[in-house]
Amino acid sequence: MSTEIWMGYLLHHEPDYTVVQSPFTHRGVRVFGADSDATTLAVAGLLHRLKHDEIPFVSVPDGVDALSLSSATGIPIFEVNDGDESPWEVLMSDEAMVVISKRHASVEIPMMDVEIEVDAEFHEAIEAAWVQELSETHVSQGAYVSRSQYEEAASSRLQLHGQSSGHHVVWPPRFSHVVGGENADGMHLQRRGKVMTWTTLSAAGAPSEFSLRAPVLGGLSTVLLQLEDGPNGVFLMVDDEDAVLAMDAQMELVFRRLYAQEGFVRYGLKARAIHD
Amino acid sequence: MKCFVLVPGNMVDVAVVGAGQTKYGNHPLGLKGMWAEAAAKAFSSVDGDFDPAAVEEAFIGSLAFGGSQLGNTAALLTEHSGMDGVAVRRVENACASSGFAFRDAWMAIKSGQADVVVAGGIEKMNDLTPERKRYWLGVSGDTEWERLAGLTFPGTYALMARRYFHEFDATHDDLVHVSVKNHLHGSMNADAHIRKEVSFEKAAGGFMVADPLTLYDCCPTSDGASCVVLAADHLAHKFTDTPVWVKGAGAASDNLALHDRPSITQLKATQVASTKAYGMAGLDARQIDVAEVHDCFTIAEVLATEDLGFAQRGEGGRFAREGEGRLNEGATTVNSSGGLKSKGHPLGATGTGQVVEVFKQLRGQVEKDRQVRDAETALTHNVGGSGATCSVHVFGRER
Repeated sequence: MSTEIWMGYLLHHEPDYTVVQSPFTHRGVRVFGADSDATTLAVAGLLHRLKHDEIPFVSVPDGVDALSLSSATGIPIFEVNDGDESPWEVLMSDEAMVVISKRHASVEIPMMDVEIEVDAEFHEAIEAAWVQELSETHVSQGAYVSRSQYEEAASSRLQLHGQSSGHHVVWPPRFSHVVGGENADGMHLQRRGKVMTWTTLSAAGAPSEFSLRAPVLGGLSTVLLQLEDGPNGVFLMVDDEDAVLAMDAQMELVFRRLYAQEGFVRYGLKARAIHD
Repeated sequence: MKCFVLVPGNMVDVAVVGAGQTKYGNHPLGLKGMWAEAAAKAFSSVDGDFDPAAVEEAFIGSLAFGGSQLGNTAALLTEHSGMDGVAVRRVENACASSGFAFRDAWMAIKSGQADVVVAGGIEKMNDLTPERKRYWLGVSGDTEWERLAGLTFPGTYALMARRYFHEFDATHDDLVHVSVKNHLHGSMNADAHIRKEVSFEKAAGGFMVADPLTLYDCCPTSDGASCVVLAADHLAHKFTDTPVWVKGAGAASDNLALHDRPSITQLKATQVASTKAYGMAGLDARQIDVAEVHDCFTIAEVLATEDLGFAQRGEGGRFAREGEGRLNEGATTVNSSGGLKSKGHPLGATGTGQVVEVFKQLRGQVEKDRQVRDAETALTHNVGGSGATCSVHVFGRER
């Protein structure tokens, strides 16, 4: 029906399924960008799908981080006792592609003519860094964000869950229901904002959590955005696109890998320039 | 047993009667040796008879006693400085640890609970591998949000700097002027970590650490310890004929994370703390002769000159550009020691290290070439993290 660029990925939408592919290729095969994986593609696909359908549950295969996917989309993960079958499922491929499909839908993979050939040396270096970083024995010297700490903040980190009292919007939320002197309700903030300031840290100056990949990436770029709902936030720029940063430039927030240690990936929202 | 009736306006006055520090930099000694050296220098600087065993309370500021992150080390240090058995504790507020240790010591005397108190600070930073150092230097920020957005403190202050350039008439050249000035001052300080001048051209063209901040905008990571002796008014003249009086004290905190603050081109904690300190001292910024301000990055000094009232809002760049803080050139000499940029920044030691500098300046005891002329009043400004905590103290030769 339609193919578009969505959150940095190639997305093809059909009534019964959505195909999400990485725009990057290496030796003729679709490969993930520097901070993408099947989970990030699946989240992008589900968020697009939610514009058209209600998705009460989704089942995910091994290789997709169910907790992060659910936290980022708000869609519960299908459990056996939820019914006979999940109405929606995430399907993976050998290449950097996922399909979000109604169960039993007939899926036809479209040809998408956007192919960005990655630099082989860069691609292999990033892949090797992730393999090392994802090792269960890899414990970086980074400021430790434990699994429970990650899970506790997952809805605010991955879905921009904040608080509003009507007059004040606060994000990340506080362990208090009083904001600006008034009782506050939960809300989800829009994933867009404008650049208030930015920096690019040299690899030598980057936090040690990123010490394996920052040299390959040539440093880390961080923006402070004023979100459309008011609060400010700091976000890494996506790793797999170059953007010319400028004050007031419009950015969208997309779901990507942040870093890994002890065998599990911490995901988060990263900023990506809006080109429209 | 002592009994107290606190009467406003009738509380004890507090004086600094001794102060000393190690040389900052790559110190050959470990924690115990560095502390012993700083304490010995502080105790020997007391003009009259002084027995360390007479110290009633001690407050030692440290982020974590070096990258080894030891606990309960304050007692270990005091037994290497003749203060066995003293009531001692570690005070931790990141880079403002010993600024707050000094405040706690001042309060202990001010409240009437003690008459002779020691405040100090220490950090051992250069025995770490580069990887451990980069880990450890970022733990005082907002680790859950800022750090996972790739920020260490150079990055955090770089965000401030770029925004400041956007909002006001300032450029990176103004930061270069701060760096050149502080290196000039530090070149004359025997205790400074980096004792060399840098040219404008060299400082402007430094290795980019966090755009727009270069290596010459960033303070070094230093080893060091500092120690000061405080006494109640009725004992001050027993120890010296030239005490330095604590005329005002203020402290405040702010959001830990930069993104939670309404403005990132000013530090609210500094503004609140200095307003309290000036008010208590009955002085304003124009009456301060010497100011040791927290220039962990050059942009921090630009912001501090505004937040402390030496320059109007948005005029900090011009203040630096026109050299108003240079030694004996403007109304207030800013960072006569070389500041954190040149004297060095052994995190936990920095706050009381600033007190060491103003103690000597107000007593005419620094190197002749960097003595602030006719210095009667001074200020110290110690910041934790990117501005989450701040302590400000105002000092004077007159009580």
